[in-house]
Amino acid sequence: MALDFGETVHRNTPSAFSVNIVLAEGPLAVSWQHASATCEFLGDLFAHHHAQGGADYNEARHAIIYLVNELLENAIKFRNPGDIMLLCSLEDGNLELAVCNSTAPAVAEKFQSLLSEITSRDPGELLIERIEANAADETSSASGLGLLTLMNDYGARLGWTFEQNPGGAIVLRTYASLTLN
Amino acid sequence: MEIKTAEYNVWTEGSTIHYEGTLRLSGTDAYQPILDLMQQVLVEKPQNVVLDLTQLEFLNSSGINLLAKFTIELRKHPDVAMKVLGSTRIPWQSKSLPNLQKLHKGVELLIT
Repeated sequence: MALDFGETVHRNTPSAFSVNIVLAEGPLAVSWQHASATCEFLGDLFAHHHAQGGADYNEARHAIIYLVNELLENAIKFRNPGDIMLLCSLEDGNLELAVCNSTAPAVAEKFQSLLSEITSRDPGELLIERIEANAADETSSASGLGLLTLMNDYGARLGWTFEQNPGGAIVLRTYASLTLN
Repeated sequence: MEIKTAEYNVWTEGSTIHYEGTLRLSGTDAYQPILDLMQQVLVEKPQNVVLDLTQLEFLNSSGINLLAKFTIELRKHPDVAMKVLGSTRIPWQSKSLPNLQKLHKGVELLIT
């Protein structure tokens, strides 16, 4: 059974400028390094492509790096052993990113309750509320702040689908889109 | 006081804390040494604290949470003025730093 949150429909066509990347499983420090290299690469590549039309390279590059980095950090922290797949595309200034990884059912359940809140409230208000709550609780991991800053500070549109595979793990797809100026 | 790696450098000069490079640490625990360094500045009971971010090219959301935590901490020291320096050259700063003023009205934010 599939469960959806937020905006899960992407509109870029197959002829969009696009890149597929698969990040293999590895120790956390190595995965972190791969995430870092991946976001820098995608940020530079797509910002260059976007800037050919006269747009601001620096603004586009930074927004793409922040977006890719936050979604990859989440995928690395919460995945089951296995690959992380990324599809990034750009068409008419619309940047779309899909990240797919597998996760444990208990992790998925906790994440779903966070998403119910994130997708039903004003992100700016919720961001401040969660920062206050995190500061008051020493053990808090500050989860959700990356998603809320993306929505509130960058205007990113985000969506998630959860699908149970026959082996019991959950396949999580995260969708993001950004309008590049 | 200084914390220096190949990716970033954080150091203090009096009650000014300088940040340089790319900060992409994995979470609250990983940022703790930097938070400790920032809190150490408050021990001296300065009249003001300056966060100089004008050379900090990238900060992930865990790092933004670090700045937010420190800002909330400063509310407990109403006699200490807090100034945050940013650069228009670095897009994340104009986007995310205004959130600090929502946490603490006394924060002076200068993005130039």
